[in-house]
This record gives sequence, structure tokens and C-alpha cells, in this order.
Amino acid sequence: MASAERLVETWMASARDEEIEQTVSEISNDRIALLDVVKALGEYLTSEEDQLRAKGVELLSSVLSRLPTEKLNRQSVRVLTTFYCGKLDDTETIIPALKGLNTLTTLPTCSSTEASSIMEALFTHVKMRALVHSVRFQVFSIIDNLIARHRAALKAMGKTFVARYISLVEGEKDPRNLLVAFAIARVILIEFDISDHVESLFNITFCYFPITFRPPPNDPYGITTEDLQKSLRGCLNASPSFGPLAIPLFLEKLAAGSPATKRDTLQTMAISLPVYGSALARVSARKLWNSLKLEIFQPTDPLTEAEALKTTQTLVETIYSHEEDAIESEDDIQGLARDVCEECIHILREPEKNQARPAIKVLCAFLATTPSVARYTLSHAVPHLIKLFLDPGEASNRPPILLLLADLVTAARDSMPEEVTDDTPVPMSPYKDEVLGVVSVGLKATVSRIPALALLRGMITTGNLFPDQELGFIVHLVNEVFQAEDAENDDFSDSAILDVLTTISKTSPLHVQEQTLPMLFSSLPEQAPPREATSERIKNWRTLLALKTLCVHPQLFEILAIRLTTKVDLLCAPAMKRDAMEDTEPDAAYAHSLLKTIADTLSTKVDAGHPDVAKYIDRLVPGLYNLFIFSALRSEMSAQGKITTEPRLVRTAGEIITLVTQCVPAQRQASFVSAIFEVLSLGRVQGIADGLQKLAADEKVLLFEESAPTARKNLLALFSAGIVTAHKEVLPSPQELDAFLNQLLIWSVTRADHYLQRESAWHIIASIVNKQADSATAFLEDKLDNFWPHYIAARGLSPEQRRYAIQAWVWMSKALVVRKEPSLARFTDRLFEVFSDDEIAWDAARALGEFASPDQILIKRHHAVIKILHAQKFVNGVLPRIILGAQDSSKPPHEQTAYLVALTSLIKAIPKASYAHEMPSLMPLVLRGLELPDFDIRADVIDTLLAAAEGDVAAQNLVTEHTSTLVTAMLKNSMVNEMPSVRVRTAALKYLGVLPKIVRYDVLHPSKPTVLRELAKVLDDPKRSVRREAVDTRTVWFKYSG
Amino acid sequence: MPGEIFNPNPTVFATKPTVRKSDLLKQSLWINEKAVQEDNADEVDPIDQDEIFDLIRSIDDPEHPNTLEELRVVSAPQIDVKGNHVMVEFTPTIPHCGMSTLIGLSIRVRLLRSLPDRYKVDIRLKPGSHQSEHAVNKQLNDKERVAAALENQALLDTVEQCLARAGRRGHSE
Repeated sequence: MASAERLVETWMASARDEEIEQTVSEISNDRIALLDVVKALGEYLTSEEDQLRAKGVELLSSVLSRLPTEKLNRQSVRVLTTFYCGKLDDTETIIPALKGLNTLTTLPTCSSTEASSIMEALFTHVKMRALVHSVRFQVFSIIDNLIARHRAALKAMGKTFVARYISLVEGEKDPRNLLVAFAIARVILIEFDISDHVESLFNITFCYFPITFRPPPNDPYGITTEDLQKSLRGCLNASPSFGPLAIPLFLEKLAAGSPATKRDTLQTMAISLPVYGSALARVSARKLWNSLKLEIFQPTDPLTEAEALKTTQTLVETIYSHEEDAIESEDDIQGLARDVCEECIHILREPEKNQARPAIKVLCAFLATTPSVARYTLSHAVPHLIKLFLDPGEASNRPPILLLLADLVTAARDSMPEEVTDDTPVPMSPYKDEVLGVVSVGLKATVSRIPALALLRGMITTGNLFPDQELGFIVHLVNEVFQAEDAENDDFSDSAILDVLTTISKTSPLHVQEQTLPMLFSSLPEQAPPREATSERIKNWRTLLALKTLCVHPQLFEILAIRLTTKVDLLCAPAMKRDAMEDTEPDAAYAHSLLKTIADTLSTKVDAGHPDVAKYIDRLVPGLYNLFIFSALRSEMSAQGKITTEPRLVRTAGEIITLVTQCVPAQRQASFVSAIFEVLSLGRVQGIADGLQKLAADEKVLLFEESAPTARKNLLALFSAGIVTAHKEVLPSPQELDAFLNQLLIWSVTRADHYLQRESAWHIIASIVNKQADSATAFLEDKLDNFWPHYIAARGLSPEQRRYAIQAWVWMSKALVVRKEPSLARFTDRLFEVFSDDEIAWDAARALGEFASPDQILIKRHHAVIKILHAQKFVNGVLPRIILGAQDSSKPPHEQTAYLVALTSLIKAIPKASYAHEMPSLMPLVLRGLELPDFDIRADVIDTLLAAAEGDVAAQNLVTEHTSTLVTAMLKNSMVNEMPSVRVRTAALKYLGVLPKIVRYDVLHPSKPTVLRELAKVLDDPKRSVRREAVDTRTVWFKYSG
Repeated sequence: MPGEIFNPNPTVFATKPTVRKSDLLKQSLWINEKAVQEDNADEVDPIDQDEIFDLIRSIDDPEHPNTLEELRVVSAPQIDVKGNHVMVEFTPTIPHCGMSTLIGLSIRVRLLRSLPDRYKVDIRLKPGSHQSEHAVNKQLNDKERVAAALENQALLDTVEQCLARAGRRGHSE
């Protein structure tokens, strides 16, 4: 007892939280009773002094709110309720009293008797207007609690409850309170007898519509416009009796509002109309449609238009859905749907006009309503359009008619359920023959080809519409178009044709296989068109593009692979006697394009994970090896086989081999890889090559012989292609390989003839080092100790050879970078050492950037060892050092420049995130990079800046600091008389166009006149592509204002 | 759009981007190689009919959500480039179209901003296509009046709106 008194006294003096905590814990532990607290508070609760009385009630409410629920029994709740209700008419104590009631109403021991008396007291004593919003929130919470727990008791209060509630809450403005009020109103509207008060309830809810609330910045309650809209809509569509009152209001808001209001109104209508009922919808249909029509036919923006269409759909559904069963024939459709259909079809009499678009949209929307309305719409619209199409007087309007039909067909398709079974009704099936007839006419004329294809596409993507043999007919139709003389792709119909064929080939490839492929293959000539015959060549490419797109299906790809390799065999076959002087480049380019088609298709298949790729290790790969090895050997003796020695051709063949071998399982790879090593070490090719041309049993291909001609050395690319994809376990052990790798490395630097050969060698080395780094220490040590000093740091050697050696160095290091190998640091260090060596400083600097650049060899698909975030680790290691080096003015200028080159090359190669944190120190250096004499570096620098511009605010603020430098530099780099490189000019203009988007107006606007004046000169650039960029950039600056 | 709508239901035509024959002929023998390396080529691409058409084709019509090209208000054959003189002819959709001046002004502004200033640009209505053809032509080719019109902020805003998406150059976006 003493304790309770002491606590109360202390709190009255201090108002600290501790005493409340302590009181609560005392009561919870049964050391004092709640009654004791009340007794101790006694004098305060009834004190004459306003402040004391308020504080007394406040303490009691605070204690109550924290008390465990089981401490309050029915009895005490009743007493407290009576007490608090009594305090409500006292202006001093109403605030804490509401707080106390709020707690009491949440208790399970609060009975319905208390509920009604609390409600009664609230109605009697609370004057909302006199209270601030946080107190009003207490009132709403109490009512909300009561509604949730004692709904029956409130209902028992009779109709007066609704009336008194309305007058209590009228005029509320606070968004947080409104959220609660809307929730309460929804329950009242649905569950209470509101018959006498519809209008008042309408007034207290619809007065908030539409919600125009914009949340203030830093709103502590985080209430959004959408929250309010959503809960208000919950009230607006809560009762059908709102309907007659609501519809005029909706229409008024729709006509007068801003686009946002319009959308809100349309959405609200869409969810309210079904509740208001079909009778009302039918009566107001005309009025509603007249307003909706405006939004569709003269839309303020596409979003509003879409909403209006949705609302129209709901309206139609509301009117017709319940009488669906009663409708037997289409003629039974009366009222709105019929009128609107007729109206739209009337507009469609002029299909080429602007208004035809919205009209067809309305009809399309109808297709997704009730089945009978959809049937009715199609049965009128489709025949109408077909009749129009066949009318000779409308011949010029055929393209738009086809487009309109395409829209209808697509909408009809989309109205079908996703899972189509055999007995799903297909809305379009009564009309398919007529529509197909229209399509076949439309395909004949160039102008209507693309629309006809769009229509066809809609038809064939409709499930169950065509049986198999009709698809065959469609393939035939489309093939004819592809072959037509005038269809040289300048009408862009190819992609649409291929789209149709691909769609069909997914379900029934046989038609494409039997009709389209023979046609395409036969249009490919046996020999390449001569050099001047550009149009012939473009035609062939078009055919190949078609093949590439169509033959992804396993069944079709098999045919493609056979037919095209046969063609390549024949082209390159030495059987044809060739004049040594003859121009073979067109033939080589043609063969290349054939192989490229196979490679591209394969690549698509690999990406899609097709399982049939692996089998081509036996079907495709031996033939390729055979062809190229055979021709390489023959070309040494005569001009025959000259075609296949073309490096680009070899490279593409290698591409195919890589694509196939990467999908082959390890055990098959084992024999394949060992066969390759047999060629490389002994020259025995019989294990790998097999095909048309017979190689003699003792024929040897020794690539690394000193006298080997370049054609033979090129073959390394094909072997490299087969090795880089090998699993680690199928490679020979490092000890066996050591000598070979060393030989290969020296060969690549000293004896290889061109880039293809060198690169192939490096790919082999990089791939093997990467997969076996843990056991190849000896090899790597040897490179650091011997290769580096003798081939790179050796000043006596020719700079060219040293450059090759650096490239080889790059590839070895890359192999280590991706697996985060610790020994990498020593490889990096070496490169920094030669930054002072003028002859190769720039090459070494560039090489550093290439360490981290992504490539196509060391990738997961090739079973390389790759660790995550390897680029990040590498960058963290070298970037600070490069920055320091570039900033260090004690270094000679040319060395500093080398660091700058290294920097630009590095940041070009790595993802933005890995250097973003260094941006502040990088920016000045990057700007210096803009003055380097090398154009490629400049272009790279600008590209880096462009990438940074898309970054976060911090990066953009950084640009702000350097604005004027950047503007001047970019203007200089965009002038043709200052900068001969088109790439740099284009990039500079692009960056100038980005600046206004990322720099604050007050910083940048002083440059506006200069930029506009200077860009006017760039508008006269000799290159069209640069002028185009200049026009776009200048437009951005014209529009730039604060 | 406030005020009277002059042609509520104009015809909309299909469009497609222009392909330059000269670009096609520059193709290399090899399938995946870019046409001639641009950096090395010294040749000059002159500003031609197609390029100017590209500049104005995607200007939006003031009345409809369509481009001038879609409504056939402008077309490539209606543009003529001779030396430093450009002649642009345009066709309003109906003879009493009150928007003709605005359309002409939009074309004028677009070309002012996008062509080097050595060009003299004439913008005219197609003869016989408009009831006050002479007056509109005079208005559009009078430097002072064009300058005065562009001083009017409200008018300039409308022009900017028409030009907002002119950079599409016949492509859909």
C-alpha cells in the first residue's frame, strides 16, 4: 500500500516513465493491486485543480495500457469504464480518459454492456471539432475496436447509432484518422441497417472523392495517396444503395478532372458498378457510355484510355453476365452492347481513319466480357471487315483493314483460357476460312504484306484454330511471299515471315522441314556470286538469316548442318581446278557465311540448353577437321584448297568446334582431347579427322616445324578450339605438358605468322594454366624467371616481338586472375617495372587493363576455374597503385602517362561498381586521359564517363565539380577539324547530351549559349552519324531550362 | 487540346523507316563485318532529302497522337535540297486546317535547330491544299514574324510539345 502511494506521489512530481514501469511490474507480480493504485490516486482523480485531475487520469491510463490483460477482471473493467465515461465530459480529463477507454476496449473482459455505454458516452460527450487530430485518432480507434469486437451490441443500439456516428465523425480531415474512418464506414455500410441514412453516409464518404491528398515530405505515418484511395474505394463500393447517387457524381468528376482524377474515377467505377448491380447499370448505360466514349475516342493519355476500356468492360459484364444463361441466340443481345457494337462498326466503315483505332479497341475489349457479347461482337465485326476488304472500292484501304482484323483476332485469342483443351470453344473458328482467304489476298500485295502477316500471326498463335494440314497450307502461303521477286526485305516483312514460320515450327516442324527448307537450300548457289554482285550476296545472306532463325529445332538443325557442310565441302573441295590467279575471296567469304550460320544457330541452341548439341561431336566436328587439314596439306602443293586457308574461315570453324565440345560429357572429351594432343605432338591426324577427302594413313601434320607454311599453322586455331573447352581431368598432367607449353609459348612469340595463330596458342596456354594452376607452379616460376627477362624486359629485341610477349603475359595472367591465384601479384609487379621503358610502356599499361577484361575463353561453360568477385579483388589490388603512380609528379612525365593509360584501360574493362568508391580521386585523372593523343583511349575515357553518368547521385555530384572542364573538352572533341575520329566525336556529343540530365541547372546553364553556338558548327559535320548525334544533343540543350 | 478541333478524324497511313541504298551497297564481302570502317573513310555524306525528312517526320501533330508522317503532312519527295537551299512542302489534312501555321512553325523550328546555318530554308504549303495558302506561306517565311512568334511563351511551349519526340526519326521509339 505504501509502495503504491509512494509511486503515485513520485510520478505526480516527476512524470517519469520509470514509475509507471515500476507500478506495472508491482501489479504484475501481485505485490500491489490495481485498486491500491486507484485508491492512492483518489484525491488526484477528483481534485479541484484541473492540472492535477488530468495528471491523475493520465497516470491511470498509462498504467492500464501496459498492464497484462489478465490483471483486469470483468468487475474492474466495468468500474473503470464507468469512471472513464464520466471523465469524458470534463475537458481537462477527456484526453487521458480516451486513452484509457482505448485500452479497455481491446480487453477480452470488456463486455457488450460496456461497449454500448462507451459508445453512448462518446456520442454524448465527445465534440470532435474541439479535439486535435491525435486525440481524434483515439476516438476512431475506440470505435474501431468496438466495431471489431462488439458489432452486435452496436447494431442493437438501433438506427440512431448510424445517425449519431455520422454527426460524430463528419468533417474529418486527417489522413491517418480517415484510414480508420473509412474502415469503420465500410463495416457500417455492409452490416448495419442504413436504410434511413443512405444520403448522409453518401455525403460523409463521397465528399472525400477523389482523393487529392499528397503526402508531405517526411510524413511520420507514411500514408500514401494509394492507401487512402484504396480504403475509400472500400466504402464507395460497399453498398448498392449508393449507386443512384454515385453515378452522376462519377460522371461529373470524369468530365472535369485532371488525368489522375480521371483514372481514379474510372478505377473506382470499375469496382463499384458490379456492386451497384445490373439493374442500375442497365438504366444508366447510355449516360455512362457517353462519358466513357469520350475518354476512349479522345483520350487524354494512353493510361486513361486503357482504364476507360476496362471500365467499359466491367459495365458490359455487369449488365449481361447474370442473364448469360437466358441468351440463346445472338439476336437476343439488346441494349448497350448492341448499340455500342453498331456505333463502332459504323465508325469502322472508314477503316483508314484515326477513329477506327479506338473503335476497334472497344470491340476488342468486348471480346473479354461475357461469351454471348463476345460472340455477338465477332459475328458482326468480322464479317463487316471482310466485306469491306473485298469491296473493290476500298482496295486502297486494305492494309488498315487487315490491321484492324489482326487486333480482333489477337483479342479473341487472348480471351481464351490459358490451358486450351480440345473442347475449349475457339471464338474465331467460324470465320477462319474467310479470314485466311483475306490473308492470302493481302500477302500478295507489297503494301498489305506486313499487316497480313500480323493477322496471320494472331491466327496461328490461337490454340486449336487450325488442324495440321491447314498449317501446311499456311507455310506454303508464307513461303511464296518469301520467294516473291519484290520481297527483297526492303519492306521489312522478313522478320514477320520468319516469326510466323518459327511459331509453326515449334509445334509442327514437319511443314517447315518439307516445304520451307528445300526452298531455302535450293536458293543458295553452289558458288559465290562475284565480287560486284552485291544484291546477289545480300539475297544469300537473307536466306542464311532465315535458315539461322528457323533451324533451331533439333530436327531442323540436323538438316541444316548436313546441307550447309556439304555446300562448304563442295566450295572448298580441291576437286575443282582453280586458276592460281582467280579471285577466291568471294568464295571464301561465302563459305565463311555458311559456317557462320551453323555457328550462330549452334550458339542459340547452346544458350537454350538443347541436348542434341553434344552429338555433333561425331557428326560435324570430324568433317570440319578433315576438310581443313586436307586443304591445308594440299594448298602447300598447289593453288587448290586456297579458300580454306583464309583465317576468318578457320576461326569460324573453330567457333563451331568450341560450341560443340563444350557440351560434350567428360568421358567423350577424353578420347577427343587425347586425339588432339596426338596431332600436336606427333602430327597424327587420323584419330580426329574423318570425311569426304581421304587423308593418307601416314600423312602427318607437324604444326611447329620450322618450315611449316602459314596455312598449316592456322590449323592450330581448330585444335585450340577443342582444347579450351576440356574438363580439367581429361587434360594430360602438367609434367607431360610442360615442354609442350613452353614450346608453344616461344613459338607464339617468335614464329607465329599472324594474330589468329598467336591467339590460338595463348588460348591453349591460358586455359591449361587456369585449370591446372595448382600443379603448374614450375611452369609459372620459369616464366617469371626466364621468359620475362628474355622476351619482355629485353631491350635488345624488336618492339614488335616484345609486344607479342606482353600479350602472352596477359593471357597467362588472366588465367590466374579469374581463379584469384596469389602468385598473380608477381605477374602484375613485372608489368609496372617496364612503365619506364618508353618502347613498351604503353603496351604494358594497356595490358594491365586487359588482365581484368572479360573474354570468351576463360568462362564457366568451358569448365574454367572461376571464383566470384575476382575482378573486384584484382582491381582492389592494382587501382590504388595506379592512382598513386599517375598522381606522383616525381615520376618522369612519360611514366605518369603510362599510369594514366593503364588507368583508362583498366576502368574500361571492369564493372563500374568495382571502382565507384575511388571516383573522387579518379575524376581528375580521367580528365587528363581526355588529352592523351590516342583516339581510342579518348573514346574509351568518354565511354567510361557515360557509364559513370548513369550512376548514383555521388558520381553525378562529382561531375558537377568538373562541369566547365568537361564541357570545353567535349566540345573540342566533337569538332571535325580538331578530332578526326568519328568514334570520339560521337561519344563526345553523346556525353554533352547527358550532361544536362545529371548536372544542376544553376551550375550548367552558363554554358548553354556556348554549347548551342558551338554545336551549330557540328551540325555541318561531314559524317551523317555525327550530325545525327549533334542534332539530338543540341535538342537536349535547347530544351534545357530551370 | 483546347479549342476547336479542325479535323476530328484524319486518315492515318502506315510508315516505315527509310533504308539508304548507298548503305546497302557499301556492305563488305564478309557477312558479319561492318560496312567500311567509318573512322578511315574520308568521304563526305552530303545532307540530302532523306536526312531532312528524318528530322521532321516524327514531329507530332498538334491535334492527334500521330506524327506528321503518319498523316502524310510531310513526305520525302516533298523536300528538295539544292546547294544551300532547302525547300520543304507540306500538306494539311484538310483545306481549312487552322493548325497549318503551327505545323509549319514546328517544322521551321526543328530545322532551325538541326541544320547548319549555311542553309536557307523555305517552308510552303502544297499549292492548292489550303484556303489561305498565301497568307500562311508568307507568315512562315518571314523571319521577323517567326522570331516574334517564338517570343510568345505559350506558343513556344506548344511547338516544344510537337517537337518533344521528333528524335524518333520514323522509328516507333
